[in-house]
Amino acid sequence: MIPYDFEYYRPASVAEAIRLYGGLEKQGKSPVYYSGGTEIITLGRINLVKTGAVIDIKHIPECQVLGFEQNRLILGAGLSLTKLEEADPFPLLSKTAREVADRTSRNKITLGGNICGRIFYREAVLPFLLADSQVVLAGRDGIKRRSVHDVCNGNLRLDKGELLVQLLTERSYLELPHVSIKKRKQWETGYPLITVAALRKDDRIRVAFSGLCPFPFRSVELEEELNRRHVPLKTRVDQAVRRLPSPILNDIEGSAEYRIFVLRNLLEDVMEEMEGK
Amino acid sequence: METIGKSVYRKEAPDKVTGAAKYTADVQKPGMLHAKLVISPYAHARIKDIDISEARKMPGVRAVLTGQPTPLVGEEIRDRPPIAFGKVRYHGEPAAVVVADTPVQAQAAAERIRIAYEPLPVVNSPADALRKDAPLIHENLEQYEKGVMTYAEPNTNIASRIRIRKGDAAKGFSESDVIVENRISFAPSDHAAMETRCCVAEIAADGTVTIITSSQAPFMAKKIISAAFGVEIGKIVVHAPLVGGAYGGKSSVQWEIIGYLASKAVGGRPVKLDYTREEDLLTAPVHIGLDATVKLGCSKDGKLLAAEMVYLFDSGAYADKSPNLSRAGAVDCTGPYHIDHVSCDSLSVYTNHPYPSAFRGFAHSEVLFAFERTMDMLAAKLQMDPLALRRKNAIAPGHTTPTQVLLNTSNVGNLPRCLERLQELMNWEEGALIRLSDRKVRAKGISCIWKTSTIEPDASSGAVLLANPDGSINLVSGVVEIGTGTKTVLAQMLAEKLRMDVSRIHVKMEVDTQTTPEHWKTVASRGTFMAGRAVLAAAEDLIRQLKDIASRVLRCSPDDLEVGGERVFLRDDPKTGISIKDIAYGYTYPNGNAIGGQIIGRGNYILRHLTCLDPETGAGVPGPEWTVGAQGVVVEYDRRDHTYQILKAVSVIDIGNVLNAKAARGQVIGAMSMGLSFGGRETFEIDRNGIVLNPQLRTYRPLRFGEHPEYIVDFVETPQLDAPFGARGVGEHGLLGMPAALANALSLASGTDLNRLPLTPEFIWRTKRGTSHDSV
Repeated sequence: MIPYDFEYYRPASVAEAIRLYGGLEKQGKSPVYYSGGTEIITLGRINLVKTGAVIDIKHIPECQVLGFEQNRLILGAGLSLTKLEEADPFPLLSKTAREVADRTSRNKITLGGNICGRIFYREAVLPFLLADSQVVLAGRDGIKRRSVHDVCNGNLRLDKGELLVQLLTERSYLELPHVSIKKRKQWETGYPLITVAALRKDDRIRVAFSGLCPFPFRSVELEEELNRRHVPLKTRVDQAVRRLPSPILNDIEGSAEYRIFVLRNLLEDVMEEMEGK
Repeated sequence: METIGKSVYRKEAPDKVTGAAKYTADVQKPGMLHAKLVISPYAHARIKDIDISEARKMPGVRAVLTGQPTPLVGEEIRDRPPIAFGKVRYHGEPAAVVVADTPVQAQAAAERIRIAYEPLPVVNSPADALRKDAPLIHENLEQYEKGVMTYAEPNTNIASRIRIRKGDAAKGFSESDVIVENRISFAPSDHAAMETRCCVAEIAADGTVTIITSSQAPFMAKKIISAAFGVEIGKIVVHAPLVGGAYGGKSSVQWEIIGYLASKAVGGRPVKLDYTREEDLLTAPVHIGLDATVKLGCSKDGKLLAAEMVYLFDSGAYADKSPNLSRAGAVDCTGPYHIDHVSCDSLSVYTNHPYPSAFRGFAHSEVLFAFERTMDMLAAKLQMDPLALRRKNAIAPGHTTPTQVLLNTSNVGNLPRCLERLQELMNWEEGALIRLSDRKVRAKGISCIWKTSTIEPDASSGAVLLANPDGSINLVSGVVEIGTGTKTVLAQMLAEKLRMDVSRIHVKMEVDTQTTPEHWKTVASRGTFMAGRAVLAAAEDLIRQLKDIASRVLRCSPDDLEVGGERVFLRDDPKTGISIKDIAYGYTYPNGNAIGGQIIGRGNYILRHLTCLDPETGAGVPGPEWTVGAQGVVVEYDRRDHTYQILKAVSVIDIGNVLNAKAARGQVIGAMSMGLSFGGRETFEIDRNGIVLNPQLRTYRPLRFGEHPEYIVDFVETPQLDAPFGARGVGEHGLLGMPAALANALSLASGTDLNRLPLTPEFIWRTKRGTSHDSV
């Protein structure tokens, strides 16, 4: 039960969605874009999300695109994670997304919702950080393209009312050697203790993380350390750990020091696997 | 036998699998209002002020309730205001209640209640509660009304202390060659049943109180409300429809009392109180925590000579069932072994945690974790095979229990046989620790189990059988269908006894305390035993009446008659007889004369020869019989990162006689799954202020389908002679040894003694490093 009333809007175009947002914001309704709704429902019922209006973006054609254009994969923000897993245009994304929540939830959770949600793991963004993807954003100034790094690496940097419409990924990245590992506090259920996704491009290994910090990230400095092939792996891992952003999460999923312990092992596993591939 | 032992489908299965089954939350009544709780965000705080003025003005609000000094409620100690008064003692305690026309209105108003709290020092563990300078959680413990088997110590935080003194422990240790001592602990956790607690309460113009509730204890709800509020007991009618999982968590009476108060506040209109998942985890009673020390002494060939235990059960903020839990832990304080010298102090200790209800196994998996871990440590010190150590000391007829009950071939099962079978099923001969690679090992851990059911010595169960005009029979029993299929098993017993088809027995699923004979509580694996005895007694009564009327029609002595196949017939000439349908509602002669009337069978059963325990030594008869068993777990463990998978879980339990093969297996597997979940993952994460950090299923995670191991279940059958068809209880036992067996396997695999739960990789990593587990 959501203990407050809110209005529901279903725009048919990006422009209409942006217009609605501006108008509702002016009326003091604190609108939110609504896609799968899993966070609005589960956080709304305990007042962690409060809104006077939701704008359902699932019926905007651009948000449902799944296809290629000029050697680029276009994925609409309104696609469900299950749909992405089933169509499997980006195998690394399928693997990472498959570990989010459970099947029933993934039928609802969308790509855009996972990446722009309040629950800070946002694991679906990791493959895009590795593939140097672009994001298509819509705002008051119209449609623009930005690097995923500028918007989604670390804390989310969207302007108020800005809508993530699509993610664009060069085809050449889609079939690169990759690995995705999710370590949890225990067994196969729960948020990540650490999720790591990795991809090899031009003989360099790229890595991105969720669950280590209160935001997903990819760090060029950390990758530099990992890719010094002449240095023994253990040393590289030690150096990489020193390049971690802060803070390291210290919560009921695991202490900060335990996460670092897990990370060291994970990095060794990832590098061994990727260097062997 | 025709029906006993067969995997008969549950009577309520079609309703459940089609989604048609109705639970308490499905109840809708005309004019029904809705209650919402305001719960405490503090574990211990004085309530300085409650401002309800804004809430009262909200649309749809009919009443706002706050705490009153009296009456106090509680099952063993009346120490709890149904709504907090003066102070709150746990995170999640009800502090105010709003009643409104809709749930949304009630919630909106609840959010406008302003409560000013002054935080108080928090008692965060049973060990802390016993410190000399610990804050007193109940200053008035002395004045509270208490049950006869509760031994409170006023001016301390001890709600009850049970002493077991058998033989002379000091002498036993002085004669011992090898002694080990161990400490274990775990925090409270939860039942996390699928159905959250819910009730609908109303009060009629004539004062009749009607409560529909998701409860295992509708008859107890009636008694507690009558005692606390002075309502004439016959004017309280409690209905218990199907219950969506209970596991002991619905044997406490809490939400019904708040529902009753809420209805009373609105002139008796029906009020629904439906706990949110958070309230179900926090506010409603939880699974008990424990701090324990165990000291064992034995001869150099492994004969146990002495055992000394201190069990500090985490009673949380209110006593409720915890004095009984500490008593149940005390009577089986050693595990199923013959030990001449036993000393145990089993305490229920107030803390500022959510308070416990029963949890499947009722203190036994908890105590066995402590004891069976220590058994493995003893085996290691002796350099003896842990299975051989257990076999050598296994309890058997002729031995006595810690409360000095002499065991015979009926009141205890065959533990040595269970161990033998476990040994085969686990391929024990290949060794308990097998190296798979540089990193991976496979390890096996075991635990013995036993349990008696320490329910009230005067607990009883009744059954009524009503004949239908077509010769079929309606079965009415006070057992609540909590998902165990007990009512189907009762129907099987009746079908067997009457030699008729089980499909022709109609079971009344819902219990209501006005028309259903009482079954004390649907707890303690007592359904098949007590209700089974009542049903068999009722069947005897029914048979007697059938023979009586048939004898007149057939012009013979009732002694010449048999009942079977829905007929009453001559033993020596079965073709001569009469159908039950022709006498079920009496018999009508061709000329219109009639005799008899509807056949109604009745029966009841009361536990026999149980006694209170001696306050100094604990001597006494706490329960009717001991179910025993042996369990094991096989894990694959990664020595680098301390992660592990449970490959197999094995149970061999002596259940006397298998009444319904698949149902029994299902009960054991379900219980094993809960035990592994409790052992490996489930716990409340409680911070230093006593706040539960994971009161949601996002972060409180029971074992999920797909994470389970291969389950291997086998039964030994040593009949309990006074039980229906010889069957022993089996609802809880699959759980009992799982945490200990898992800990024993992982201790072996990791090369470190693991004495806390849950057994997460981080905990194992910390223990290996020798640092304390304090991640929060």
